[in-house]
Amino acid sequence: MTRTVLDIMNLTVNLPNRTRILRDVSLSLEPGEVRALVGESGAGKSMIGKAVLGILPPKVRISEGEILLDNEHLGAMTPVTRRNTVARMSALIPQDPLTALNPLRKIGPQIVDPLRRIHGWSADKARARALELLDRVHIRAPERVMASYPHELSGGMRQRILIAAAFAPSPRLIVADEPTTALDVTVQKEILKLIRELQRETGTAVLFVTHDMGVVAKISQKVTVLFAGKVMEDAPTEQVFSGAAHPYTRALINATPSSADPSRSFTPVPAQLVADLHREIAQDDHLYMTVTS
Amino acid sequence: MAEASTAPRARHGSGLNLRLWLPLSWVTLLVVVAVFARWIAPHDPLAQDLLLERLPPFFMSGSEPGYWLGTDSLGRDVLSRMIYGAQIALFVSVIAASATCVFGSVLGMLAGYYGGWAERIISRLVDIWMAFPPVLFAVLLVAVMGTGLTSVIAAIALIDWTRFARVVRAETLVQTRMDYVDSARIGGARRASTLWTEILPNVLPTIIALLMLEMGIAIIVEAILSFVNLSISTDDPTWGSMIAEGRNAIHFAWWVLLFPLIALFFSVLSFSVLGEGLRQRFDPVLQ
Repeated sequence: MTRTVLDIMNLTVNLPNRTRILRDVSLSLEPGEVRALVGESGAGKSMIGKAVLGILPPKVRISEGEILLDNEHLGAMTPVTRRNTVARMSALIPQDPLTALNPLRKIGPQIVDPLRRIHGWSADKARARALELLDRVHIRAPERVMASYPHELSGGMRQRILIAAAFAPSPRLIVADEPTTALDVTVQKEILKLIRELQRETGTAVLFVTHDMGVVAKISQKVTVLFAGKVMEDAPTEQVFSGAAHPYTRALINATPSSADPSRSFTPVPAQLVADLHREIAQDDHLYMTVTS
Repeated sequence: MAEASTAPRARHGSGLNLRLWLPLSWVTLLVVVAVFARWIAPHDPLAQDLLLERLPPFFMSGSEPGYWLGTDSLGRDVLSRMIYGAQIALFVSVIAASATCVFGSVLGMLAGYYGGWAERIISRLVDIWMAFPPVLFAVLLVAVMGTGLTSVIAAIALIDWTRFARVVRAETLVQTRMDYVDSARIGGARRASTLWTEILPNVLPTIIALLMLEMGIAIIVEAILSFVNLSISTDDPTWGSMIAEGRNAIHFAWWVLLFPLIALFFSVLSFSVLGEGLRQRFDPVLQ
């Protein structure tokens, strides 16, 4: 049995009325691997990360399937063990750095407290580690930043702080939930570079949620393409770009403008293809409702 | 590269924020007067002198030196009674508002944070509670519990906790859905401690504003209950009972009614404005 950091097997996530948000999703990450999760908005990309981290919105439930973190079944654990395992094993780089830091707490404790909780470190040790990481994400005067409130810092800086906070406890898995979407284009590149550097240095596996095929090409080794909560394609990144198996994946790639070659035309995802996929999903739903009711 | 700005931020308006300092001065004055009533008051608030009844205030003809705001129909000094009245008003407002605040806020936070059954039970309770007319409810409660300050305070807390529960629940609900709460949970924080360390500080500015508002309301309720003779004994000077007594003589000794009324008005107004001012002051995001 190969050692995987994350193994999601046949995961189905439901609303209370049995509407499926994720449909039979399977994917896995090996140590040090970056897997991109792509799809249009509403495809359930972020939901996979939330299911792994145990922060699904209220009333959204895992109805079928298994999530294994480091070959341990999360579903079989008590809530307390699960929380501790998730805290020790994984971390999140959130989408919106403006809401992901508590506005009324200083930066310092927001990085230091989890370290002390997770590893049982002393205040000094946790603080030293936080400073080390802040320095690593190129924050000048980290001491002063630790004593600041989030609103005193820019969005790009806050995202770098959140990256530092995510890597600080040395997790095996990091879920990066569209970490560059809320940022200026000028800052995006820098943030992306930072995540890739730290990922390579530490060998952390990253589940990288994005809708940007350009980012996928730069950062990931594997790609999972989602549509309406269903996996369309799961393949190595190179293969996807050289010749994707699924027409939806090809459509997504064709819909990406190229900054290297602005003259290259790009086409929106064909409406006919989307309609066909939706019809397929609807038939699937009909079957699901009949079987489970 | 961007750095943390450590320079103090300029407050809007120039230096002195009147919306904060004006009510704060009035409340400070009230506190000082209430604490040092024994030394400040020129006369015994209970001493009657029928020879000096209904003396006008100092700026009118016929006033008597030493009786700055005149006397009431029993010859008691209005200023001294107001000063001792401030003591009672302030005592009731602080104790009653704090009790109301703690009780209501705790229930509101539990309902907003945990949802489910806690939410349903507490919200229904609030709905039922708010169906009663508050003043009638207060009168009823005091009538059952007997008159006296303790009853007045208990009545205020029992009636007005819904104000805190409702608002604090809504605010907690908003904060609970923020990303930083998820981040704390991923960082291994226990559910209860997340409520305490992450959410409470963000709800606190709202609670403080409500607390100030509630202090104003408590003063009014106490005055209402004094007015209908359900607070402490009629001899003891309260603004409410002074207004009630002054009402009979309004045509020829208006000062007995007017001065406590003004004190009441400014106190309630100050607490309300102060609440909003303090909320802005304590919320670094709003600054």
